[in-house]
Amino acid sequence: KRRPSPSAFSRAVCPPVALPDSVQWEGRSLLKALIKNAALRGDQVHVLGCEVSEEEFREGFEPDVNSRLVYHDLFKDPLNWSKTGEALPGGPLGALRALCGRTQPGPVTIALDSLSWLLFHLPCTTLCQLLHALSHQNACPDGSSPVERVHVLGLIHEELHGPGPVGALSSLAQAEVTLSGMLDQTSAHIVNRRLRQRPTQQTQWFSILPDFSLHLHRVPAREPRPCPPTTQVDPTAHLTFNLHLSKKEKEAKDSLTLPFQFSSEKQQALLRPGPGQSTSQIFYEPDAYDDLDQEDPDDDLDI
Amino acid sequence: MAATAPCGSGAEETGSEAAAGKPGGTSFQRKGPRAGGLDRGGSRLVSIAGTRPSVRNGQLLVSTGLPALDQLLGGGLAVGTVLLIEEDKYDIYSPLLFKYFLAEGIISGHTLLVASAKEDPADILQELPAPLLDNHCKKEFDEDSCNDKTPESNIEMKIAWRYQLLPKMQAGPVSSSRFGHYYDVSKRIPQELIEASKWYGFFLPEKLSSSLPAEPCYLTHGYLKLLQFIQSIIYEDGFDGTNPQKKQKNILRIGIQNLGSPLWGDDICCTENCDNNHNLTKFLYVLRGLLRNSLSACIITVPSHLIQNKAVIARVANLSDTVVGLESFMGSEKETNPLYKDYHGLIHIRKIPRLNNLTGDISDVKDLAFKLKRKLFTIELELKKERKDFIMPSVTPSE
Repeated sequence: KRRPSPSAFSRAVCPPVALPDSVQWEGRSLLKALIKNAALRGDQVHVLGCEVSEEEFREGFEPDVNSRLVYHDLFKDPLNWSKTGEALPGGPLGALRALCGRTQPGPVTIALDSLSWLLFHLPCTTLCQLLHALSHQNACPDGSSPVERVHVLGLIHEELHGPGPVGALSSLAQAEVTLSGMLDQTSAHIVNRRLRQRPTQQTQWFSILPDFSLHLHRVPAREPRPCPPTTQVDPTAHLTFNLHLSKKEKEAKDSLTLPFQFSSEKQQALLRPGPGQSTSQIFYEPDAYDDLDQEDPDDDLDI
Repeated sequence: MAATAPCGSGAEETGSEAAAGKPGGTSFQRKGPRAGGLDRGGSRLVSIAGTRPSVRNGQLLVSTGLPALDQLLGGGLAVGTVLLIEEDKYDIYSPLLFKYFLAEGIISGHTLLVASAKEDPADILQELPAPLLDNHCKKEFDEDSCNDKTPESNIEMKIAWRYQLLPKMQAGPVSSSRFGHYYDVSKRIPQELIEASKWYGFFLPEKLSSSLPAEPCYLTHGYLKLLQFIQSIIYEDGFDGTNPQKKQKNILRIGIQNLGSPLWGDDICCTENCDNNHNLTKFLYVLRGLLRNSLSACIITVPSHLIQNKAVIARVANLSDTVVGLESFMGSEKETNPLYKDYHGLIHIRKIPRLNNLTGDISDVKDLAFKLKRKLFTIELELKKERKDFIMPSVTPSE
């Protein structure tokens, strides 16, 4: 029994990774696992949170991970109604632009939770352009600092959108991780599109532990059985004439001399005319029935 | 049309005019321009480097950088026309054709105009393939073909042995180095060739950031800027004949990458029925007008697999002159099909223009497949091997 496959669209990293998920296979825990990974690696992590509150998002992370996490909250007051000055200026557009203009040194990971929410509040083209700018902000105006790694992770709920936005976003993503699974085990189908190389696909089974570390499995014991190979129809089965050759007939066929089958020297000479062969050559190969009489037939003429 | 401007009707020395002019009127027609006819039109038929007239209708052609593709398009790409490449799904092979086109421009000495919203044009130029010189060509070909020789291809044909040496589809390296060159994809073009060439780059994020937020107009802001840029280059460098100081005519090769993707600000890839459905088609219409009035040729890659509205795809194809579609097997069920195991994808020649003709030069061959070898991108006839899953209709016995 196969579940319908959801697609977790995780945008990854510089270039983006998209994590599509669906109702059945939740992608946020994978996102948090990747964030934890990035934080432990030493990146500074910026999270643009739109769907869950900050407390809920930070729940489950260890303190050192939480200290590296900079949370930009769009959930509490996205339209800035309370006017307390806590909300991010400019709404989602301003928040993204602020992330683009960040000039702190060091590798950084930006997690967008979620792209679906952003797609509902921003036009798709603007979002694509901003994401492209986010992942390509390596060039500094003065060019002094070296190239920094910027990783962008995005979570998108594929079921909420038509094929258009999802396709457009995935064309920008360098890696696309689709979540699916069987019964209680989750698998991720990863399409990795490295620059200027052929894309690779692989499926990885994994599970996420309560402290958001990622545990990769081997192929699970219960796999769906491959469908049995379709029987091949033999076209020569029910004919009224015989298409098969017996062994003797095959030998006779192979040893038959064909009319224009020349010796291999003549073949080579005909295929590759030599440099000095402007005139045509005459090749004589005696047939089986030729009468090779070496005598000159004109000898007995009495002249 | 600009394509006929340099070789105006009077200077068409090919074909019937030459025959009729001779006393005694022979019906033999010489194909190709007569050397003696060059002086007649003054500077009109000055031959431009990297171009040649078509043998069919005298149209001025430039090479697309891939001699196999030139052959399929009837000799090359006509000057003043647009070559539209429909990208494959993961955008692996269409950048290759794009780069071949630009590399051919550099080798022939043409001026380049590279426009992209995704990559910086300077980076694109760095990645162009290196040209193969004539004396190395044959060696590279033999090495390449030896590397993937399967046991089946080594069987010499018993009956049709005369066809052993014929190439599968594309001709070998051209002996003259004036039209159509071969490139080695595994190497980069030498830096000095890029520096010696003249090129203009249009990188959309840079151009947009320096301008004020645009008021809504009839065309997407990015497209408008690009059209203005192209027009200014054509005018300043005299490709449309307005600048009389230009003695040496040259061709402008324009390359636009990923046109229609959301990065250009166009949302035809995002929604099916949007208000701005006509941006891309208006852009192509205006671009075609610019091209017809100048000595330029353009290559555009469009992610047509992302465009949601089929009518837009059809209109875009109608507005382009030559349309080539790439379909890669990656990720589709054709990847495991034994018929296609030697190839990386199919190439579809969807449209060939009818320029000054009643009929186009459509080839009969419809099954073309491409393969990216280590150094070369080849286009071959897809040979239908023996089909093991052939299903015969049920045959009733004779009694």
